[in-house]
Amino acid sequence: MRRWRRAGRLAIPVAAVVGVFVVWDLIIRVFDVQPWVVPSPGDSLRAIADDWGTLGSLTRTTVKETVLGFLAGAGIGFLLAVVMSRWSLVQRVVYPVLVASQAIPVVAIAAPLVIVLGFGLAPKLVIVAFIVFFPVVVNVLDGLASVDRDLLNLARIMDGRPLRVLALIELPATLTPLFSALKLGATYAVTGAVLGEWTASTTPGLGNYLLIQSSKQNTDAVYAAVLLLTAIGVTGFLLVLAAERVATPWRTRSTARRRRASSPVRDDGSVEEGGRP
Amino acid sequence: MESAPKLIAEGITYRFGDTLALQGASLQVRPGEFVSIVGPSGCGKSTLFNVISGLLAPTSGRVTIDGRDVTGSTGHVGYMFQDDLLVPWRTVVRNIVLGAALTRGASGKDEAEARALGERYGLRGFLDHYPHALSGGMRQRVALMRTLAVHRDVLLLDEPFGALDSQTRLEMQRWLLDVWDELDRTVLFVTHDVDEAIFLADRVLVMSPRPGRIATEIAVPIPRPRGLETLTSSGFMDVKRRILSFLYGQGAA
Repeated sequence: MRRWRRAGRLAIPVAAVVGVFVVWDLIIRVFDVQPWVVPSPGDSLRAIADDWGTLGSLTRTTVKETVLGFLAGAGIGFLLAVVMSRWSLVQRVVYPVLVASQAIPVVAIAAPLVIVLGFGLAPKLVIVAFIVFFPVVVNVLDGLASVDRDLLNLARIMDGRPLRVLALIELPATLTPLFSALKLGATYAVTGAVLGEWTASTTPGLGNYLLIQSSKQNTDAVYAAVLLLTAIGVTGFLLVLAAERVATPWRTRSTARRRRASSPVRDDGSVEEGGRP
Repeated sequence: MESAPKLIAEGITYRFGDTLALQGASLQVRPGEFVSIVGPSGCGKSTLFNVISGLLAPTSGRVTIDGRDVTGSTGHVGYMFQDDLLVPWRTVVRNIVLGAALTRGASGKDEAEARALGERYGLRGFLDHYPHALSGGMRQRVALMRTLAVHRDVLLLDEPFGALDSQTRLEMQRWLLDVWDELDRTVLFVTHDVDEAIFLADRVLVMSPRPGRIATEIAVPIPRPRGLETLTSSGFMDVKRRILSFLYGQGAA
Protein backbone atom coordinates (compact mmCIF):
# COMPACT_ATOMS: atom_id res chain seq x y z
CA MET A 1 0.00 0.00 0.00
CA ARG A 2 2.52 2.49 1.26
CA ARG A 3 5.06 1.51 -1.39
CA TRP A 4 2.44 2.04 -4.11
CA ARG A 5 1.60 5.46 -2.82
CA ARG A 6 5.28 6.35 -2.82
CA ALA A 7 5.62 5.07 -6.37
CA GLY A 8 2.63 7.22 -7.32
CA ARG A 9 4.20 10.31 -5.81
CA LEU A 10 7.31 9.72 -7.92
CA ALA A 11 5.43 8.78 -11.07
CA ILE A 12 3.55 12.08 -11.41
CA PRO A 13 6.57 14.41 -11.69
CA VAL A 14 8.37 11.95 -13.95
CA ALA A 15 5.31 11.79 -16.19
CA ALA A 16 5.18 15.59 -16.24
CA VAL A 17 8.77 15.83 -17.47
CA VAL A 18 8.14 13.15 -20.10
CA GLY A 19 5.02 15.10 -21.06
CA VAL A 20 7.08 18.23 -21.75
CA PHE A 21 9.32 16.24 -24.10
CA VAL A 22 6.28 14.75 -25.86
CA VAL A 23 4.67 18.18 -26.38
CA TRP A 24 7.99 19.60 -27.60
CA ASP A 25 8.26 16.72 -30.09
CA LEU A 26 4.64 17.11 -31.24
CA ILE A 27 5.06 20.83 -31.89
CA ILE A 28 8.13 20.15 -34.04
CA ARG A 29 6.22 17.53 -36.05
CA VAL A 30 2.88 19.31 -36.38
CA PHE A 31 4.35 22.68 -37.42
CA ASP A 32 7.19 21.07 -39.33
CA VAL A 33 9.83 23.14 -37.50
CA GLN A 34 13.25 22.85 -39.17
CA PRO A 35 16.00 21.24 -37.02
CA TRP A 36 18.27 24.28 -37.40
CA VAL A 37 15.54 26.46 -35.86
CA VAL A 38 14.55 24.16 -33.00
CA PRO A 39 15.81 20.58 -32.90
CA SER A 40 13.55 17.78 -31.67
CA PRO A 41 14.16 16.29 -28.23
CA GLY A 42 15.47 13.19 -29.94
CA ASP A 43 18.03 15.21 -31.91
CA SER A 44 19.10 17.08 -28.77
CA LEU A 45 19.55 13.89 -26.76
CA ARG A 46 21.42 12.34 -29.67
CA ALA A 47 23.73 15.37 -29.75
CA ILE A 48 24.55 14.71 -26.09
CA ALA A 49 25.34 11.07 -26.79
CA ASP A 50 27.38 11.82 -29.92
CA ASP A 51 29.58 14.43 -28.27
CA TRP A 52 29.69 12.93 -24.78
CA GLY A 53 33.50 12.76 -24.88
CA THR A 54 33.59 16.57 -24.82
CA LEU A 55 30.31 17.27 -23.02
CA GLY A 56 31.07 14.91 -20.15
CA SER A 57 34.18 16.79 -19.05
CA LEU A 58 32.53 20.20 -19.65
CA THR A 59 29.63 19.10 -17.46
CA ARG A 60 32.05 18.11 -14.72
CA THR A 61 33.62 21.57 -14.79
CA THR A 62 30.26 23.35 -14.64
CA VAL A 63 29.00 21.04 -11.87
CA LYS A 64 32.16 21.77 -9.88
CA GLU A 65 31.68 25.54 -10.23
CA THR A 66 28.00 25.28 -9.35
CA VAL A 67 28.43 23.04 -6.30
CA LEU A 68 31.42 24.85 -4.80
CA GLY A 69 29.91 28.28 -5.44
CA PHE A 70 26.60 27.12 -3.98
CA LEU A 71 28.23 25.77 -0.82
CA ALA A 72 30.35 28.89 -0.39
CA GLY A 73 27.34 31.19 -0.92
CA ALA A 74 25.12 29.20 1.44
CA GLY A 75 27.82 29.03 4.12
CA ILE A 76 28.73 32.71 3.94
CA GLY A 77 25.06 33.72 3.85
CA PHE A 78 24.23 31.60 6.89
CA LEU A 79 27.15 32.87 8.97
CA LEU A 80 26.49 36.46 7.95
CA ALA A 81 22.83 36.17 8.99
CA VAL A 82 23.75 34.71 12.39
CA VAL A 83 26.33 37.45 13.02
CA MET A 84 23.87 40.13 11.88
CA SER A 85 21.15 38.84 14.20
CA ARG A 86 23.54 38.77 17.17
CA TRP A 87 24.83 42.32 16.73
CA SER A 88 22.17 44.72 15.55
CA LEU A 89 24.79 47.36 14.71
CA VAL A 90 26.34 44.96 12.18
CA GLN A 91 22.89 44.33 10.76
CA ARG A 92 22.14 48.04 10.39
CA VAL A 93 25.44 48.66 8.62
CA VAL A 94 25.64 45.54 6.46
CA TYR A 95 22.04 44.96 5.44
CA PRO A 96 21.64 48.02 3.17
CA VAL A 97 24.98 47.21 1.54
CA LEU A 98 23.78 43.68 0.81
CA VAL A 99 20.53 44.93 -0.67
CA ALA A 100 22.40 47.40 -2.86
CA SER A 101 24.83 44.68 -3.95
CA GLN A 102 21.93 42.67 -5.32
CA ALA A 103 20.87 45.56 -7.51
CA ILE A 104 24.17 45.25 -9.41
CA PRO A 105 23.59 43.27 -12.61
CA VAL A 106 25.64 40.10 -12.26
CA VAL A 107 26.66 40.33 -15.93
CA ALA A 108 28.22 43.70 -15.21
CA ILE A 109 30.51 42.43 -12.47
CA ALA A 110 31.58 39.30 -14.35
CA ALA A 111 34.11 41.09 -16.59
CA PRO A 112 35.81 43.15 -13.85
CA LEU A 113 36.00 40.01 -11.70
CA VAL A 114 38.09 38.33 -14.37
CA ILE A 115 40.56 41.21 -14.20
CA VAL A 116 40.86 40.76 -10.46
CA LEU A 117 40.60 36.98 -10.14
CA GLY A 118 41.87 35.63 -13.45
CA PHE A 119 40.43 33.09 -15.88
CA GLY A 120 40.25 30.11 -13.56
CA LEU A 121 37.67 28.77 -11.10
CA ALA A 122 37.67 31.76 -8.74
CA PRO A 123 35.49 34.30 -10.61
CA LYS A 124 32.86 31.63 -11.33
CA LEU A 125 32.67 30.67 -7.66
CA VAL A 126 32.31 34.29 -6.67
CA ILE A 127 29.44 34.85 -9.10
CA VAL A 128 27.58 31.69 -8.06
CA ALA A 129 28.11 32.45 -4.39
CA PHE A 130 27.00 36.05 -4.95
CA ILE A 131 23.69 34.84 -6.40
CA VAL A 132 23.09 32.13 -3.77
CA PHE A 133 24.01 33.97 -0.58
CA PHE A 134 21.42 36.75 -0.66
CA PRO A 135 18.21 34.69 -0.32
CA VAL A 136 20.01 32.66 2.35
CA VAL A 137 20.81 35.79 4.40
CA VAL A 138 17.27 37.13 4.11
CA ASN A 139 15.57 33.84 4.96
CA VAL A 140 17.87 32.89 7.83
CA LEU A 141 17.39 36.36 9.34
CA ASP A 142 13.63 35.88 9.08
CA GLY A 143 13.94 32.47 10.73
CA LEU A 144 15.95 33.90 13.62
CA ALA A 145 13.47 36.76 14.07
CA SER A 146 10.53 34.34 14.08
CA VAL A 147 11.60 32.54 17.28
CA ASP A 148 8.84 33.00 19.87
CA ARG A 149 9.81 35.70 22.41
CA ASP A 150 8.21 33.67 25.18
CA LEU A 151 10.29 30.63 24.29
CA LEU A 152 13.42 32.76 24.64
CA ASN A 153 12.04 34.09 27.95
CA LEU A 154 11.48 30.52 29.08
CA ALA A 155 15.09 29.71 28.16
CA ARG A 156 16.19 32.66 30.31
CA ILE A 157 14.04 31.55 33.23
CA MET A 158 15.71 28.13 32.93
CA ASP A 159 19.09 29.92 33.06
CA GLY A 160 19.93 28.66 29.57
CA ARG A 161 23.47 29.34 28.34
CA PRO A 162 23.42 31.70 25.34
CA LEU A 163 25.36 29.33 23.06
CA ARG A 164 23.11 26.40 23.92
CA VAL A 165 20.01 28.52 23.35
CA LEU A 166 21.45 29.50 19.97
CA ALA A 167 22.23 25.90 19.03
CA LEU A 168 19.06 24.24 20.34
CA ILE A 169 16.38 26.88 19.83
CA GLU A 170 17.43 29.65 17.46
CA LEU A 171 19.44 27.88 14.76
CA PRO A 172 16.97 25.00 14.24
CA ALA A 173 14.28 27.64 13.68
CA THR A 174 16.18 28.80 10.61
CA LEU A 175 16.18 25.39 8.90
CA THR A 176 12.82 25.64 7.17
CA PRO A 177 13.41 29.12 5.67
CA LEU A 178 17.04 28.18 4.97
CA PHE A 179 15.96 25.26 2.83
CA SER A 180 13.50 27.46 0.94
CA ALA A 181 16.43 29.72 0.05
CA LEU A 182 18.63 26.75 -0.85
CA LYS A 183 15.99 25.40 -3.24
CA LEU A 184 15.95 28.74 -5.06
CA GLY A 185 19.73 28.87 -4.92
CA ALA A 186 20.18 25.39 -6.37
CA THR A 187 18.45 26.42 -9.58
CA TYR A 188 19.93 29.94 -9.79
CA ALA A 189 23.44 28.64 -9.17
CA VAL A 190 23.63 27.02 -12.62
CA THR A 191 22.85 30.33 -14.31
CA GLY A 192 25.60 31.93 -12.25
CA ALA A 193 28.13 29.36 -13.41
CA VAL A 194 27.15 29.90 -17.06
CA LEU A 195 27.44 33.69 -16.70
CA GLY A 196 30.87 33.23 -15.15
CA GLU A 197 32.02 31.08 -18.03
CA TRP A 198 30.74 33.52 -20.62
CA THR A 199 33.20 36.26 -19.77
CA ALA A 200 36.39 34.33 -20.26
CA SER A 201 37.73 31.01 -19.14
CA THR A 202 40.76 28.82 -19.41
CA THR A 203 38.82 25.94 -17.88
CA PRO A 204 35.87 25.59 -20.28
CA GLY A 205 32.48 24.37 -19.13
CA LEU A 206 29.02 24.02 -20.64
CA GLY A 207 28.61 27.80 -20.76
CA ASN A 208 31.60 28.20 -23.07
CA TYR A 209 30.37 25.31 -25.21
CA LEU A 210 26.95 26.96 -25.44
CA LEU A 211 28.52 30.19 -26.68
CA ILE A 212 30.74 28.51 -29.26
CA GLN A 213 28.03 26.24 -30.68
CA SER A 214 25.58 29.10 -30.77
CA SER A 215 27.96 31.19 -32.90
CA LYS A 216 28.26 28.21 -35.26
CA GLN A 217 24.44 27.95 -35.45
CA ASN A 218 24.74 24.36 -34.13
CA THR A 219 21.28 24.36 -32.58
CA ASP A 220 21.17 20.71 -31.57
CA ALA A 221 24.46 21.13 -29.69
CA VAL A 222 23.08 24.28 -28.03
CA TYR A 223 19.98 22.39 -26.93
CA ALA A 224 22.13 19.51 -25.75
CA ALA A 225 24.04 21.90 -23.48
CA VAL A 226 20.80 23.49 -22.26
CA LEU A 227 19.38 20.06 -21.39
CA LEU A 228 22.51 19.22 -19.44
CA LEU A 229 22.42 22.56 -17.58
CA THR A 230 18.76 21.96 -16.73
CA ALA A 231 19.61 18.50 -15.48
CA ILE A 232 22.29 19.97 -13.20
CA GLY A 233 19.79 22.46 -11.76
CA VAL A 234 17.07 19.85 -11.24
CA THR A 235 19.51 17.40 -9.63
CA GLY A 236 20.71 20.16 -7.29
CA PHE A 237 17.13 20.97 -6.37
CA LEU A 238 16.33 17.32 -5.65
CA LEU A 239 19.46 16.95 -3.52
CA VAL A 240 18.42 19.98 -1.45
CA LEU A 241 14.95 18.48 -1.10
CA ALA A 242 16.41 15.19 0.14
CA ALA A 243 18.71 17.02 2.57
CA GLU A 244 15.70 18.95 3.87
CA ARG A 245 13.79 15.76 4.63
CA VAL A 246 16.74 14.38 6.57
CA ALA A 247 17.47 17.64 8.41
CA THR A 248 13.87 18.47 9.41
CA PRO A 249 12.24 15.13 10.26
CA TRP A 250 9.63 16.79 12.50
CA ARG A 251 7.96 18.32 9.47
CA THR A 252 7.16 15.02 7.82
CA ARG A 253 7.11 12.45 10.62
CA SER A 254 5.07 12.18 13.79
CA THR A 255 7.72 10.29 15.75
CA ALA A 256 11.48 10.35 15.83
CA ARG A 257 13.42 7.32 14.72
CA ARG A 258 14.19 5.53 17.98
CA ARG A 259 17.71 4.53 18.72
CA ARG A 260 16.50 1.85 21.09
CA ALA A 261 13.64 -0.58 20.58
CA SER A 262 10.28 1.06 21.19
CA SER A 263 7.28 -0.38 22.97
CA PRO A 264 4.44 -1.71 20.84
CA VAL A 265 1.91 0.94 21.73
CA ARG A 266 -0.61 2.11 19.20
CA ASP A 267 -0.62 5.64 17.89
CA ASP A 268 -3.58 6.75 20.02
CA GLY A 269 -1.71 5.63 23.12
CA SER A 270 -4.04 2.79 23.99
CA VAL A 271 -2.64 -0.64 24.73
CA GLU A 272 -4.96 -3.56 24.24
CA GLU A 273 -5.14 -5.59 27.41
CA GLY A 274 -5.13 -9.25 26.43
CA GLY A 275 -8.51 -8.97 24.72
CA ARG A 276 -7.68 -10.94 21.64
CA PRO A 277 -5.73 -14.20 21.65
CA MET B 1 1.73 23.80 61.19
CA GLU B 2 3.11 27.29 60.76
CA SER B 3 6.36 26.91 58.78
CA ALA B 4 8.67 29.49 57.23
CA PRO B 5 7.28 30.81 53.93
CA LYS B 6 8.71 29.25 50.78
CA LEU B 7 8.18 32.32 48.64
CA ILE B 8 7.76 35.93 49.64
CA ALA B 9 7.08 38.85 47.33
CA GLU B 10 7.19 42.14 49.23
CA GLY B 11 5.89 45.45 47.99
CA ILE B 12 6.46 44.72 44.30
CA THR B 13 6.07 47.86 42.20
CA TYR B 14 6.70 47.74 38.49
CA ARG B 15 6.58 50.71 36.17
CA PHE B 16 7.36 50.82 32.47
CA GLY B 17 7.25 54.24 30.88
CA ASP B 18 4.19 56.04 32.21
CA THR B 19 2.37 52.84 33.07
CA LEU B 20 2.29 51.64 36.63
CA ALA B 21 1.59 47.92 36.26
CA LEU B 22 2.05 46.84 39.87
CA GLN B 23 1.94 48.90 43.00
CA GLY B 24 3.02 47.28 46.22
CA ALA B 25 1.93 43.74 45.42
CA SER B 26 2.80 41.43 48.32
CA LEU B 27 2.23 37.73 48.87
CA GLN B 28 3.55 34.78 50.84
CA VAL B 29 3.33 31.11 49.99
CA ARG B 30 4.03 28.26 52.39
CA PRO B 31 6.00 25.18 51.31
CA GLY B 32 3.80 22.71 49.42
CA GLU B 33 0.92 25.16 49.23
CA PHE B 34 -1.24 25.64 46.14
CA VAL B 35 -2.22 29.29 45.71
CA SER B 36 -4.34 30.70 42.88
CA ILE B 37 -4.32 34.31 41.74
CA VAL B 38 -7.35 35.79 40.02
CA GLY B 39 -8.02 39.32 38.89
CA PRO B 40 -9.48 41.47 36.13
CA SER B 41 -7.64 41.29 32.82
CA GLY B 42 -4.76 43.72 32.58
CA CYS B 43 -4.28 43.77 36.36
CA GLY B 44 -0.63 42.78 36.06
CA LYS B 45 -0.84 39.07 36.91
CA SER B 46 1.66 38.14 34.26
CA THR B 47 3.92 41.06 35.16
CA LEU B 48 3.92 39.83 38.76
CA PHE B 49 4.96 36.38 37.53
CA ASN B 50 7.67 37.87 35.38
CA VAL B 51 9.05 39.70 38.40
CA ILE B 52 8.91 36.60 40.63
CA SER B 53 10.65 34.52 37.94
CA GLY B 54 13.40 37.14 37.66
CA LEU B 55 12.62 37.90 34.04
CA LEU B 56 11.84 41.50 35.04
CA ALA B 57 13.57 43.47 37.78
CA PRO B 58 10.91 45.32 39.81
CA THR B 59 11.06 49.10 40.16
CA SER B 60 10.93 48.46 43.88
CA GLY B 61 10.23 45.50 46.13
CA ARG B 62 11.87 42.19 46.92
CA VAL B 63 11.41 38.52 46.08
CA THR B 64 12.79 35.83 48.38
CA ILE B 65 12.72 32.04 48.09
CA ASP B 66 13.63 30.08 51.25
CA GLY B 67 14.76 33.38 52.71
CA ARG B 68 17.23 34.04 49.87
CA ASP B 69 16.91 37.29 47.95
CA VAL B 70 16.37 36.34 44.30
CA THR B 71 15.02 39.68 43.07
CA GLY B 72 15.72 40.11 39.36
CA SER B 73 17.69 36.89 38.98
CA THR B 74 16.52 33.89 36.97
CA GLY B 75 16.85 30.14 37.48
CA HIS B 76 14.98 29.84 40.78
CA VAL B 77 11.49 28.76 39.70
CA GLY B 78 9.76 26.51 37.20
CA TYR B 79 7.57 28.55 34.84
CA MET B 80 4.77 27.44 32.55
CA PHE B 81 3.04 29.71 30.05
CA GLN B 82 -0.46 29.53 28.55
CA ASP B 83 1.17 28.72 25.24
CA ASP B 84 2.87 25.34 25.71
CA LEU B 85 6.00 26.63 23.91
CA LEU B 86 7.11 23.13 23.01
CA VAL B 87 10.09 23.10 20.70
CA PRO B 88 8.78 21.62 17.41
CA TRP B 89 12.00 19.82 16.47
CA ARG B 90 12.40 18.07 19.81
CA THR B 91 10.43 14.95 20.70
CA VAL B 92 8.33 14.81 23.87
CA VAL B 93 11.19 13.37 25.94
CA ARG B 94 13.65 15.86 24.57
CA ASN B 95 11.24 18.70 25.28
CA ILE B 96 10.90 17.51 28.87
CA VAL B 97 14.69 17.62 29.36
CA LEU B 98 14.98 21.06 27.73
CA GLY B 99 16.01 22.75 30.99
CA ALA B 100 19.00 20.41 31.38
CA ALA B 101 19.83 20.65 27.67
CA LEU B 102 20.01 24.45 27.85
CA THR B 103 22.18 24.57 30.95
CA ARG B 104 24.59 21.63 31.18
CA GLY B 105 23.46 19.23 28.45
CA ALA B 106 20.87 16.50 28.99
CA SER B 107 22.38 13.23 30.20
CA GLY B 108 21.06 9.73 29.73
CA LYS B 109 19.93 9.93 33.34
CA ASP B 110 17.88 13.06 32.57
CA GLU B 111 16.21 11.29 29.66
CA ALA B 112 15.48 8.18 31.73
CA GLU B 113 13.94 10.38 34.41
CA ALA B 114 11.89 12.23 31.79
CA ARG B 115 10.63 8.93 30.40
CA ALA B 116 9.63 7.73 33.85
CA LEU B 117 7.87 11.02 34.59
CA GLY B 118 6.07 11.01 31.24
CA GLU B 119 4.95 7.41 31.53
CA ARG B 120 3.68 7.94 35.04
CA TYR B 121 1.61 10.98 34.10
CA GLY B 122 -0.22 10.01 30.97
CA LEU B 123 2.30 10.36 28.15
CA ARG B 124 2.98 6.66 27.65
CA GLY B 125 3.24 5.88 23.96
CA PHE B 126 3.87 9.51 23.05
CA LEU B 127 7.37 9.96 24.38
CA ASP B 128 9.04 9.87 20.99
CA HIS B 129 6.39 11.90 19.19
CA TYR B 130 7.02 15.36 17.89
CA PRO B 131 4.73 18.00 19.47
CA HIS B 132 2.72 18.60 16.28
CA ALA B 133 1.36 15.07 16.58
CA LEU B 134 -0.16 15.77 20.03
CA SER B 135 -3.48 17.25 21.12
CA GLY B 136 -3.64 20.52 23.08
CA GLY B 137 -4.14 18.73 26.40
CA MET B 138 -1.23 16.38 25.76
CA ARG B 139 1.00 19.30 24.82
CA GLN B 140 0.20 21.02 28.14
CA ARG B 141 1.07 17.80 29.97
CA VAL B 142 4.44 17.81 28.27
CA ALA B 143 4.91 21.48 29.15
CA LEU B 144 4.19 20.75 32.83
CA MET B 145 6.55 17.76 32.83
CA ARG B 146 9.21 20.04 31.41
CA THR B 147 8.51 22.53 34.19
CA LEU B 148 8.77 19.77 36.81
CA ALA B 149 11.97 18.37 35.30
CA VAL B 150 13.95 21.52 36.13
CA HIS B 151 13.65 20.53 39.82
CA ARG B 152 12.57 23.81 41.32
CA ASP B 153 10.44 23.82 44.47
CA VAL B 154 8.32 26.75 43.29
CA LEU B 155 6.21 26.44 40.16
CA LEU B 156 4.62 29.46 38.49
CA LEU B 157 1.77 28.39 36.23
CA ASP B 158 0.46 31.25 34.11
CA GLU B 159 -3.01 30.30 32.82
CA PRO B 160 -1.67 26.95 31.65
CA PHE B 161 -5.08 25.61 30.66
CA GLY B 162 -6.49 28.86 29.30
CA ALA B 163 -6.40 27.74 25.67
CA LEU B 164 -8.06 24.36 26.23
CA ASP B 165 -11.74 23.48 25.77
CA SER B 166 -13.70 23.18 29.01
CA GLN B 167 -13.83 19.37 29.12
CA THR B 168 -10.12 18.96 28.52
CA ARG B 169 -9.50 21.71 31.02
CA LEU B 170 -11.40 19.90 33.78
CA GLU B 171 -9.50 16.71 33.01
CA MET B 172 -6.22 18.62 33.15
CA GLN B 173 -7.12 20.27 36.46
CA ARG B 174 -7.74 16.88 38.06
CA TRP B 175 -4.53 15.57 36.53
CA LEU B 176 -2.60 18.58 37.87
CA LEU B 177 -3.96 17.92 41.37
CA ASP B 178 -2.76 14.31 41.13
CA VAL B 179 0.69 15.45 40.09
CA TRP B 180 0.85 18.12 42.79
CA ASP B 181 -0.38 15.67 45.42
CA GLU B 182 2.39 13.18 44.62
CA LEU B 183 5.27 15.58 44.03
CA ASP B 184 5.92 17.99 46.82
CA ARG B 185 5.93 21.33 45.03
CA THR B 186 4.75 24.82 45.86
CA VAL B 187 2.43 26.17 43.19
CA LEU B 188 1.37 29.69 42.28
CA PHE B 189 -1.35 29.50 39.66
CA VAL B 190 -2.68 32.45 37.66
CA THR B 191 -6.09 32.08 36.03
CA HIS B 192 -9.07 34.20 35.02
CA ASP B 193 -11.40 31.26 35.67
CA VAL B 194 -12.76 31.56 39.22
CA ASP B 195 -13.97 27.93 39.30
CA GLU B 196 -10.53 26.74 38.31
CA ALA B 197 -8.88 28.94 40.94
CA ILE B 198 -11.05 27.53 43.73
CA PHE B 199 -11.03 23.90 42.61
CA LEU B 200 -7.23 23.75 42.65
CA ALA B 201 -6.12 26.00 45.47
CA ASP B 202 -5.71 26.17 49.22
CA ARG B 203 -6.04 29.94 49.02
CA VAL B 204 -7.18 32.35 46.31
CA LEU B 205 -5.53 35.76 46.05
CA VAL B 206 -7.62 38.41 44.33
CA MET B 207 -5.82 41.22 42.55
CA SER B 208 -7.09 44.77 42.09
CA PRO B 209 -7.39 46.43 38.68
CA ARG B 210 -4.24 48.18 37.47
CA PRO B 211 -2.04 49.22 39.17
CA GLY B 212 -2.20 45.68 40.49
CA ARG B 213 -1.76 44.62 44.06
CA ILE B 214 -3.13 41.73 46.12
CA ALA B 215 -6.48 43.15 47.24
CA THR B 216 -7.68 40.28 49.34
CA GLU B 217 -7.09 36.67 50.19
CA ILE B 218 -9.80 34.03 50.46
CA ALA B 219 -9.12 30.62 52.00
CA VAL B 220 -10.64 27.53 50.38
CA PRO B 221 -11.63 25.27 53.27
CA ILE B 222 -12.60 22.34 51.04
CA PRO B 223 -10.99 19.02 52.03
CA ARG B 224 -8.78 17.11 49.61
CA PRO B 225 -8.81 14.97 47.57
CA ARG B 226 -11.39 16.97 45.64
CA GLY B 227 -13.60 15.21 43.14
CA LEU B 228 -16.11 16.49 40.62
CA GLU B 229 -18.79 16.80 43.33
CA THR B 230 -16.63 19.52 44.88
CA LEU B 231 -17.58 21.84 42.03
CA THR B 232 -21.22 21.90 43.10
CA SER B 233 -20.77 21.66 46.87
CA SER B 234 -22.08 24.41 49.11
CA GLY B 235 -18.57 25.13 50.42
CA PHE B 236 -17.40 25.74 46.85
CA MET B 237 -20.36 27.98 46.06
CA ASP B 238 -19.75 29.97 49.21
CA VAL B 239 -16.12 30.69 48.27
CA LYS B 240 -17.12 31.49 44.70
CA ARG B 241 -19.78 33.94 45.85
CA ARG B 242 -17.22 35.79 47.99
CA ILE B 243 -14.68 36.00 45.17
CA LEU B 244 -17.22 37.15 42.59
CA SER B 245 -18.65 39.79 44.86
CA PHE B 246 -15.16 41.07 45.48
CA LEU B 247 -14.24 41.06 41.80
CA TYR B 248 -17.42 42.71 40.63
CA GLY B 249 -17.82 45.02 43.57
CA GLN B 250 -21.26 43.91 44.78
CA GLY B 251 -21.09 44.93 48.39
CA ALA B 252 -17.89 43.65 49.91
CA ALA B 253 -15.48 45.65 47.74
